[in-house]
Amino acid sequence: MTRELLEVLTPVHTPSSSAVAHRESRLRTAAGHLVLGVLGVGCVIPIYWLYATSLRAPEDVYSLNPFPWPLSGASYAEAWDAVDMPRLLLNTTIMAAMIALGQLLTGLLAGYAFAAWRFRFQNALYLVFVATWLVPFQVTMLPNYVLLNQLGTLNTVLGVIIPNLCSALAVIMLRSHVRSVPFELLEAARMDGRTAWSTLWTVVVPNLGPALAALGVLLFVNAWNEYFWPALVLQRTNAVLQLGLRSFMGTEGNDWGPLMATAGSACLPVLLLYLVLQRRIVDGFVRSGLK
Amino acid sequence: MTELREFPAPDAHVPDLGPTSRTFEEVAAPDRVSAPAPVRLPLRTRLTRAAPPYLFLLPGLALLAVWVYRPLVTTVQLSFFSWNLLPTSPARPVGFDNYVRLFTLPEFPAALGRTAVLILGLLPFTLVVPTVVGLLARRVRGRAATVYQALVFAPMLVAPVAGAAVWQWLLDPGGGLVNRVFGTTSNWLQEPGPAQLAIIVITGWHVLGFATLVVAAGLAGIDSEYSAAASLDGATRWQTTRWITLPLLSPTLSFLLLMTLLLAAQWSFPLVNTLTHGGPSGATTNVYYLLWDYAFGSFDAGLGAAAGMIFFLGFGLLALLLVRLTERLSFHDS
Repeated sequence: MTRELLEVLTPVHTPSSSAVAHRESRLRTAAGHLVLGVLGVGCVIPIYWLYATSLRAPEDVYSLNPFPWPLSGASYAEAWDAVDMPRLLLNTTIMAAMIALGQLLTGLLAGYAFAAWRFRFQNALYLVFVATWLVPFQVTMLPNYVLLNQLGTLNTVLGVIIPNLCSALAVIMLRSHVRSVPFELLEAARMDGRTAWSTLWTVVVPNLGPALAALGVLLFVNAWNEYFWPALVLQRTNAVLQLGLRSFMGTEGNDWGPLMATAGSACLPVLLLYLVLQRRIVDGFVRSGLK
Repeated sequence: MTELREFPAPDAHVPDLGPTSRTFEEVAAPDRVSAPAPVRLPLRTRLTRAAPPYLFLLPGLALLAVWVYRPLVTTVQLSFFSWNLLPTSPARPVGFDNYVRLFTLPEFPAALGRTAVLILGLLPFTLVVPTVVGLLARRVRGRAATVYQALVFAPMLVAPVAGAAVWQWLLDPGGGLVNRVFGTTSNWLQEPGPAQLAIIVITGWHVLGFATLVVAAGLAGIDSEYSAAASLDGATRWQTTRWITLPLLSPTLSFLLLMTLLLAAQWSFPLVNTLTHGGPSGATTNVYYLLWDYAFGSFDAGLGAAAGMIFFLGFGLLALLLVRLTERLSFHDS
């Protein structure tokens, strides 16, 4: 899709035969490269500096040398000693995976309903999903906190997962994805006497493979980076990465090397996932029917 | 598309069936009218045939009812009580006291003003720069554009707390990169003005990639034939951009404007929470941080709920106005 996208984005401009116009167009291209390059590098510098600092030897932490040399794993060793990193990684992975799967499932069911049927209160019910964007977390946190307390799931990862099992984003995206499944397929399944339920799993889902994967990754990343709700529910245990990281941040006298190593560890899985699946993520996002 | 949605369409079929069967089966009509049983049976069939979409919606709706709309109602109730969050001390009804108190507190309008500054400060990151990047990316071809896009998008993947940590390091008054490279001596996060600026820039850094992607999607959706036609008619590049591309992009831009308006304070929340704690002397306390502070800082649940309701209604109204305005002003393809 990135490639398709670029093809659409490439100028329709027809190269003029005159040398002046040609030089001008080259100049414009160069200016484009310059602006985009500076912006791109500017955006990545903080991320680069994060990893550069984390890989310096403890005595070099304040060095301005852009290349961390000699490389040292001392900061990582210290960070992994101070924080139970494997447990945090495991907890965070479980939390993010469960939330992403749950949101995919509820989103798929709701998106299928909105895309394949026409029914009473359809628009009103769709609005019920979209309007959740108007309700800020801070308005619902107290009653939800009390309910989780009554359910006895406070300070457990389960307490983070349950309230986040339905997301408007997943419903909106999957509605437009299901709509893109050819109607003939749904009709043929109905002729075959399949129920709506089996049509969903045998016809719709196999056709949505790549889109589901892309959306799943996006939801996983969102859940991984989630901060508010875990901060509230896991006040006593700090059982996920974002909170372990926060406990490392003091207001004064930060130990920058280990702090950067912790932050780097917390971001690494997501950044790797992005590097591997970059095209798919962008694809799933651009095609999500934001238009 | 209409065909697709008619798929099992029970609602649409059944009313049609009535008149048709009456006109075609006039002979059998008395029989039907006299027997009540067939009337009830179609009703039941109708119900079972109409049920599937609602059943598929049920899990999502149930979750939203429990975790979004129920607490919203509870918050409305809570806003009329005085309660310090302790289970042992009962909540005391106080009528509109919380609302009255809210409007007499000086920090309330101050937080509103700072939220406005935050929203205005973020607009360059969510509207201006993404549009410029999107338009420039059309001039740069091939792999390079993909790379630039990937670079701009990367900060979005950095967890807010990790972003806060690295920026705390970059802005450190002693050994931080910013002060040493630019020769400034600001203690960025401890001085009111610079702290607000820092929060705006860091939040902008986070959301820039997302906004750029949205604009790219919007530009991809614009039919290139329009600008081709314009350039055939002798329009310059700038004229094409100004009069064709930008108007067609306006729905995308208004979507981003809406998101900025509604979510700016949300986006900056983790940064404020970890970097400045609303300080120094309240300089970075925006509306949502104020809510958080009322509930878990001063344990004033009623006041927090009242503030939450005001913000919910205010932002809802703002969103409605914006959507209305956009519908009237936007240009649409076709």
